[in-house]
Amino acid sequence: MTAQSNPAGAALIRRGLAVTGVALVGLAGVYALALLATPAERFQGLAQKILYLHAPSAWASLMAFSLVGIASAAYLLLRDPRLDLFAEASAEVGLAFGVVMLTTGPMWGRAAWGAWWQWEPRLTLTLLLVLLFVGYRALRATIEDPEERARYSAVIGIMALVLVPFVHLSVYLFRTIHPQPVILKPSKPTLPWEMLRTLIGSFVMFTVLYVGFVTVRYGIGRAQRELAS
Amino acid sequence: MNETPATGAYMVAAYIVVAVEVGVYAFSLWRRARKALRSEPLEL
Repeated sequence: MTAQSNPAGAALIRRGLAVTGVALVGLAGVYALALLATPAERFQGLAQKILYLHAPSAWASLMAFSLVGIASAAYLLLRDPRLDLFAEASAEVGLAFGVVMLTTGPMWGRAAWGAWWQWEPRLTLTLLLVLLFVGYRALRATIEDPEERARYSAVIGIMALVLVPFVHLSVYLFRTIHPQPVILKPSKPTLPWEMLRTLIGSFVMFTVLYVGFVTVRYGIGRAQRELAS
Repeated sequence: MNETPATGAYMVAAYIVVAVEVGVYAFSLWRRARKALRSEPLEL
């Protein structure tokens, strides 16, 4: 059997690689825009530009984890293995973006707060969410029976979905030093246009990057599963 | 009058770290994708 006789997985991989390529070029454009054409913020200095990577990676990570929860709930209802496969792919990509979020955050925090880490609600809940998905991956690696693995991991995926709104709303619900959202909030964005366009561009590129990554990862899973069956 | 703090080093570090992280993950996916596309005849 060749890649051609397994069209679903192979086609998804190729499509995903193409989207990823476009997103990586777009991300390079965001870098250029942020570093060369976006003014520095007066009170934080150049470290404020970390926002253009931190906030979109947090968005991509939380979106990925939310989609894991939705796919997991759908799996428990429909028992379609493709939903479990998608959840697995989205969890891995979400973790990759989670690493970006958790490394850029402390760098900004050190510059703005004078501390790499604060045990305050937003940061603690975010760390908990990422660790939950580390556990999710570990669980998947330890259970051999595909149906049992899908069922157990779906439960964790749904638990994580419950946690996502608390992470996003924690800056409103609790007393926290983490800045409030500048785009994903009920009122209008509060950034000057030169900064806002860079941030929006980065949000778009991280979203496209998520789509590319998850399509490739899902395609790999499909190809492997089709071969195994 | 407040002076703008010199925090450029954190920005440079963050942009390099993100490029490395995204690059490493993209490369890891690309390797696995290539394997999935090419190794299929060998595995059967």
